[in-house]
Amino acid sequence: MIQQIFTTTFFASVLGSAIRLATPILATSLGEIYTQRSGVMNLGLEGTMLMGALAGFLGCYFSGSLALGVLCGMAAGVLMSTVMAFLSVTMKANQVIAGTALTILGSGLAAFIYRSVFGLQKSPPQVENFRALPIPGLSKIPFFGDVLFNHNLLVYIIFALVPITWFVLEKTVLGLRIKMVGEHPRAADSKGISVAGVRYTAVMIGGAYAGLAGAYLTIAYMNSFTDNIVSGRGYIALAVVIFSHWKPSLAMWGSLLFGFANALQIRLQALGAPIPNQFLLMLPYVITIVVLVGVSKKAEFPSAYTQPYSRMER
Amino acid sequence: MKKILALTMAMALSLTLFAGCGSKAPASSAAASGSGAANGEKTEPLKIALILPGAKDDVSFNQAMYEGMTEIEAEYGDAVEVSYVENVYDVADITPTVIDFAEEGYDLVFGHGFQFMEPIMELADQYPDTVFLTGTGYLTSDNAGYYNTHLASGGYVMGVIAATISETGKIGVIGGSNVAEIYQGHEGFKAGAKSVNPDIAIEEVYTGDFNDTPLAKTTADGMYDAGVDVIWHSGDGIGLGVVQSAKEKGKYCLTNAADQSSLAPESVVSGVVYDWKLAIREAIEDVKAGTFATGEKAYWCTVENGGINIAPYLEGAMTEEQTATVNKVVEDIRSGALEIPEYK
Repeated sequence: MIQQIFTTTFFASVLGSAIRLATPILATSLGEIYTQRSGVMNLGLEGTMLMGALAGFLGCYFSGSLALGVLCGMAAGVLMSTVMAFLSVTMKANQVIAGTALTILGSGLAAFIYRSVFGLQKSPPQVENFRALPIPGLSKIPFFGDVLFNHNLLVYIIFALVPITWFVLEKTVLGLRIKMVGEHPRAADSKGISVAGVRYTAVMIGGAYAGLAGAYLTIAYMNSFTDNIVSGRGYIALAVVIFSHWKPSLAMWGSLLFGFANALQIRLQALGAPIPNQFLLMLPYVITIVVLVGVSKKAEFPSAYTQPYSRMER
Repeated sequence: MKKILALTMAMALSLTLFAGCGSKAPASSAAASGSGAANGEKTEPLKIALILPGAKDDVSFNQAMYEGMTEIEAEYGDAVEVSYVENVYDVADITPTVIDFAEEGYDLVFGHGFQFMEPIMELADQYPDTVFLTGTGYLTSDNAGYYNTHLASGGYVMGVIAATISETGKIGVIGGSNVAEIYQGHEGFKAGAKSVNPDIAIEEVYTGDFNDTPLAKTTADGMYDAGVDVIWHSGDGIGLGVVQSAKEKGKYCLTNAADQSSLAPESVVSGVVYDWKLAIREAIEDVKAGTFATGEKAYWCTVENGGINIAPYLEGAMTEEQTATVNKVVEDIRSGALEIPEYK
């Protein structure tokens, strides 16, 4: 067994899978970084991703266009997060409750819409999904070509969002404003910045990213929609955001760590590792918890985290 | 402001309820009062509830049972009245659902999955007028029993097919969780494969979840990358991930519970197909005749009684000689010449 583990095919396969498993978590967590930096915690990511997954699938199924599918997924994500923004910013609701309600709403609504549209079928409707797009030249590099440059288009796009997210947050006016309303909304308000407006924007960007992640699941990674396709990835993304200290690059490593642990435990099971499969199944979650415990002490939450802002209150 | 907020929340919650209800509406049989009385037997139809752990259109474990039940419903006409509930997966949801049906005076409640057994065994004593059956369970009491598939024999045939068509000498099996009949199926699969080629390498993975299709696809991708050329999946939603992987990689796969060849006509070689009708019909007859308490309380789908069938083979995947070998194994199991053991 040991010989089978230390082979290049083994690592190429595990690392390639790790990247594909990390992608939806990464997209969602990058979006949530915008949201949380502005002082809002969107716990409804799970439901938002599922709605994105459904809308992406429907858009692609009925138009036959993958690009339109992706746009529909993102639009659904924005729509769902607008509800969240309305509840948490305008209504000043408790964000934990609002987010949980949104997740329940999303999972019920997605299943309901899917069934209404397609009814009961002998086999699930399918779409022609994104194909692997080997990058000319680079994909021929031994080992690294297989691991890094042989994925579908959405994987490249989502990984490209890492520097883009960093750039927007650190180098643009919008990024500065997002951080400002998250750290000191009163100061931002006194400078004439609309706290509500910036927070709405940040939450909606987060929704678009989560919708993109959902669409990735249904039209890039898979080619069909199922009620449980998200399977907790929204919650893992939330953990990754805390783990990353709200930094895009660390969010990438966090997502990759989770994807790697999951891909690894599956390969170890397949090779017949003398460890009960129940323990191997726990591995990704155990690693996530251990890492979280390690880094959370030092985590500096945005000062106005989950705090609704009101001009009237002191 | 607070009022508007409360109103919004209430609306959000009721929307969810509404979404849930859409699929829960009981399929009431029409005109239950009229013709049932005509033949002078029971005037009340037998009230049956089917609780599914997944979606009734999962093209697998749940759909096979759902379709079996709807066919039975059509067959019995007004004599039975069936209610269906889907997606009752968590143990926390199972108990209240089972209690609901028992309280409403249902005569026969099917809990379609292993996880229903414990809640049912706990509740059965309190509702002696209702008969409870657990899918793929093994415990019985006065008014509770089980129905099950002898998946070991189905898995055995799949193992024989996989080992026969494998060119690399490496095959794989992917399941949701290491429980009851899934374990039986996997052990049968391994035994079947080894009966063809004792040196065959078998990769086995439990994904830990019956619904996470992307994870199942990753699992299958990894196996195919490692040189496996045939995979059997032992069921439920995760099967879609395995079939999808086989389709993209251009490799062979075998399916479970329902014929999934329509998903990937080039890749699906064959599969185990469940026919639950036999078990359902026997259970209904026992309950109607009032002989349940004294009977076996166990209803089996096996290869022998036609409760487990083998889906038509993919053309060109096997030579005539190979097809004959596989058919011989199926025949032998049917006739009892080949006995597949119960794996512990």
